[in-house]
Amino acid sequence: MHELPQQLVNGLLLGSMYGLIAVGYTMVYGIIKLINFAHGEIFMTGAFGALTIYTYILPNGTSLWIALPLMIIGGMIVSIAVAVITERFAYRPLRNAPRLAPLITAIGVSLTLQQLVWAFYPGAKKERLFPQFGGSGFHLGAVTIQPADIFLIVAAPLSMVFLATFVMRTRTGRAMQATAQDPDTARLMGIDTERIIVIAFAIGAAFAAIAGVSHGLRYGQVDFRMGFIAGLKAFTAAVLGGIGNIYGAMLGGLVLGVAESLAATYIQHIPGMSHFGGGAWQDV
Amino acid sequence: MTTTTETTRSAVHRAILPIPITTARALIIIGGALTAASAFLSWTWTSAFPGDLTVDGYPGGLQWLTFAAGVLTAVFGLAGHGIRGLRRLNPAGSSSAELLLAVGGLAVTWFTLGAISVELGGLVNLTVGGWIAGIAALVPVAGALGLPIEGEPGSATSRGSALWRHIKNHPSIKPTRPLPAYAEILIIAAVLAVGLGLFTYGIDTGYGELFVGFLITVVFGAWALYSAGLTDQLSAITARHRSVTAIGAFAAAAAFPFTQSSDQYTSIGVNVLIFATVALGLNIVVGLAGLLDLGYVAFLGVGAYTAALVSGAATSSLHIVFPWWAAALTGAVASMVFGLLIGAPTLRLRGDYLAIVTLGFGEIFRIAVSNFDGVTGPNVTGGPNGIPNIPDISVFGIDLGKSHSLGGFTLGRFSNYFLLMLLFTAIVVLVFTRASDSRIGRAWIAIREDETAALAMGINGFRFKLLAFALGAGLAGLAGMVQAHMAFSVVPDPYQFAGSVPPNSAFLLAAVVLGGMGTVSGPLVGAALLYLIPAKLQFLNDYQLLAFGVALILLMRFRPEGLIASRRRQLEFHEAEQPILQTTEEAGLTKAKA
Amino acid sequence: MTTTLTENSTAPEPAASTTLLEAKGVIMRFGGLTAVRNVDLTVGSGEIVGLIGPNGAGKTTFFNCLTGLYVPTEGQVTYKGTVLPPKPYKVTQAGISRTFQNIRLFSNMTVLENVLVGRHTRTKEGLISALLRGPGYRRAEAEARTRAMEILDFVGLAAKADRLSRNLPYGEQRKLEIARALAGDPGVLLLDEPTAGMNPQETRATQELVFAIRDQGIAVLVIEHDMRFIFSLCDRVACLVQGEKLVEGTPAVVQSDERVISAYLGTPYDGAPGSEEVAEVQAAEAAADGATSEEEDR
Repeated sequence: MHELPQQLVNGLLLGSMYGLIAVGYTMVYGIIKLINFAHGEIFMTGAFGALTIYTYILPNGTSLWIALPLMIIGGMIVSIAVAVITERFAYRPLRNAPRLAPLITAIGVSLTLQQLVWAFYPGAKKERLFPQFGGSGFHLGAVTIQPADIFLIVAAPLSMVFLATFVMRTRTGRAMQATAQDPDTARLMGIDTERIIVIAFAIGAAFAAIAGVSHGLRYGQVDFRMGFIAGLKAFTAAVLGGIGNIYGAMLGGLVLGVAESLAATYIQHIPGMSHFGGGAWQDV
Repeated sequence: MTTTTETTRSAVHRAILPIPITTARALIIIGGALTAASAFLSWTWTSAFPGDLTVDGYPGGLQWLTFAAGVLTAVFGLAGHGIRGLRRLNPAGSSSAELLLAVGGLAVTWFTLGAISVELGGLVNLTVGGWIAGIAALVPVAGALGLPIEGEPGSATSRGSALWRHIKNHPSIKPTRPLPAYAEILIIAAVLAVGLGLFTYGIDTGYGELFVGFLITVVFGAWALYSAGLTDQLSAITARHRSVTAIGAFAAAAAFPFTQSSDQYTSIGVNVLIFATVALGLNIVVGLAGLLDLGYVAFLGVGAYTAALVSGAATSSLHIVFPWWAAALTGAVASMVFGLLIGAPTLRLRGDYLAIVTLGFGEIFRIAVSNFDGVTGPNVTGGPNGIPNIPDISVFGIDLGKSHSLGGFTLGRFSNYFLLMLLFTAIVVLVFTRASDSRIGRAWIAIREDETAALAMGINGFRFKLLAFALGAGLAGLAGMVQAHMAFSVVPDPYQFAGSVPPNSAFLLAAVVLGGMGTVSGPLVGAALLYLIPAKLQFLNDYQLLAFGVALILLMRFRPEGLIASRRRQLEFHEAEQPILQTTEEAGLTKAKA
Repeated sequence: MTTTLTENSTAPEPAASTTLLEAKGVIMRFGGLTAVRNVDLTVGSGEIVGLIGPNGAGKTTFFNCLTGLYVPTEGQVTYKGTVLPPKPYKVTQAGISRTFQNIRLFSNMTVLENVLVGRHTRTKEGLISALLRGPGYRRAEAEARTRAMEILDFVGLAAKADRLSRNLPYGEQRKLEIARALAGDPGVLLLDEPTAGMNPQETRATQELVFAIRDQGIAVLVIEHDMRFIFSLCDRVACLVQGEKLVEGTPAVVQSDERVISAYLGTPYDGAPGSEEVAEVQAAEAAADGATSEEEDR
């Protein structure tokens, strides 16, 4: 029982990572009613992008504290590029097709991205090590917080606040809301819905990149398959929170993360099942 | 009537290449013949490239494909010339058929030459014969580009897009008088034989390059036949003789094991059948009722595990042995029950939520089964190691595990299972066709189209959705039984949502959508392709899944209604390209009448 | 105009007009909003009843209470004496069919298939029967098809039976919707704005059709905005405003009711031009018209 606070915190941290990814799912779904199965891979490419910056671009031995912002930017550039390209070439032509065609395309995109990284990124056939913060965590009462977690603690709420402000206060944000509610009317009102869709993809990708970096920091490694499971769970979170609702997505993520953490610890007789079972049982 | 209006209205564009028509036609015919002839030359020095292309005077391996393409091009070119009996080859009178065949020939020839160069290291590996072939293949293409393109008048689009639209154009042919019945049946038989031959050839390709070349040729060839209007005519003929076609198709399929001298490729055939049958089951759920089930493969797993448990395997926790038909039934029933259990709470959910939940249940099945190993759960399914050493079943006293000879042919283990699976496939096809063309099928489609309206028509939405779900599950379970026995064991691992090895739910869904939802042959073709492509493209090694993913994207981009489209879906997807003449004409008529 | 009205209102009615559909004291609340307040309405056999009212008056909500889509918060709706089941498909089975305001055809099915789906409740061939294809099944299918073609003939769409319904022109799509609803052999047909978007000829054709339907013995309840259509069609009209039934009676009565007029056209506001000013403006306009037409003649 004394583990409870720690597990809760772990759960919240895990959950906010899921939430960041879930936001991307929910934004795209809210605007074009597409379940972007490839979004998990966008998360993955964001992580790899950040890794690239650190390993190949910055001089060896750069302190992680300095490198981190650059890595985030690098990760975002990659993930946004991937998202925008897939939107432009894979999804946009199928805008008016019944929902199964874009779904299959998304599966194809997901597979392609996974394989591209696996085949072409140096050393990606196994996990790649991700730079870590040194030092042990510091303690807050019964809870230990790793340096890696601090990043998430800062980044996640910040991102949500940014998004909320963006959607509610800016012109583009309102245009996005309009497009989500009724694309045809929005177009008639003079909103460039194509641009809005691209922006939605981009924001989702940026958030996924942040999640990717935090994943790398937390677990110390990235591999080409990490997008798949994380994507699945994030999608569950998005649905949980009400698909199309960005705040719900984050909330759903948090709930899922906590549930998973607690379930892993407390469901003893089928521990193997907890990791996914926790997520999926939630739905029913 | 509207057809003739279309053809008189559509003016003729300038051709892409400004050459006189007679020259163009001559080029096609001569070029086609040249290309075919070049197949007889040797294309490379060494036999390091598979298929032995080093011999002058005899085509080998991929050269046969070039030969076929060249011959077809020349023949169609002759047909275009107006030679009497050959007119029937191109009922639509469209020049895109020749263009496609020519391009197909070019593609496969250059692919071969390119593969030789890449694999052996440089163009220097091509002999003079190879160079001749490469150039000869260009000739018919040039000729075909010189043919006039039919297109809508007054369109100021570039020639490139006019050409593209011309190729994509759905041919419009006047309905012809049906031939005498025996002639039509002969045609059907001939087509089936050719189909069987192609299928066998495709499965038997020993090396990946040949398979790719084969695919290229088949794709362009089929497209050309489609443009020429032949596929439409074939559909009309088969529609008139449905039962004959069905029986013929199964006879052709049953003949497949006899065409194999070894059992090596028959195993692929059985797997294709299993995959295809399961896809057909999914077609009921997704294609007819419109329920997005992402965890479908779990039903295959339930059937497989159930069959394994009652097979008398030593590791099975149930120590009973069922005869084959009882095992099959049990598997189907178990899956159906599973389907009901899953469906009852979830089918009340909206479409996208249903997707997630079915996905979840699919994974739960796999993980649960993996954990019922005595350590983390009761030992029912043997955990990650599954249930190995499943004995072969006996059908009417014939042990399917042993080879038997029938009329001089040897049927090995896989051939036996192939025939058994064929029986199940026949059952599934029967169920599918009868269900879809009935009150039930109509109700399913109505629910898929507009559930609220369907409810207003008195259809109990929930009950019918559950029916579709359970039926689909049961059919998959049937297939599971064969899979279990054939593979000697069942393990939880393959039953996932997406992975590199079919069948998994994502691939199944792709097979259904790719092949064409709501049709019978669609998922069969889709499954065959989706199974064969990753299996055959081994030479791509690392890149095979990559190619597969890209292929999915491209296929959805360019033909979202699937390869074999039901009439409805084609209209659904290509509505923008349909001439609006019909509706405006009628509107004019109604106004005049009123 | 008046003569046509009186003709229709004195049209021969069946001797005993039994009440088929009866809504008594229906109240529909959504949370804090009361959409329908205490509405009574009856539709008897052989009647054509109209339901009018400005948008937002609660007509569609009330309509949905009659079709099982909503269960009234208070009050009840009965059909032939039995309370309506709470599921739309059961209501259809009981004998009430409806059309939709925005056409909801099964666009990717043919015209005939649409009507066959409408026939769903009156056939009962299940999956086993379909799989076995026994003589019973074949007979049922043939009967269904014959009946469907009869109905298509009745509405005038028989020639287009194999067309994809999405390819029909608008007016014919509406007809198909009605045909589909008729296929359920209803006792009462509910039409939701059947002439929306139609030109006068199409409207007249629809009117003829509704009369023909009534003559088949099916009672009809129509929601409409086209006043001419309603008043020349219906035996009785009810007007709903803000959830309440304002008035009900023969078309003549309802048409001249001041509350109805003001509900649709609004009451004059303070400072609005009085009748003298209106007359002045009209005179001035007439003079201007005269002047311009003189110019044109030159």
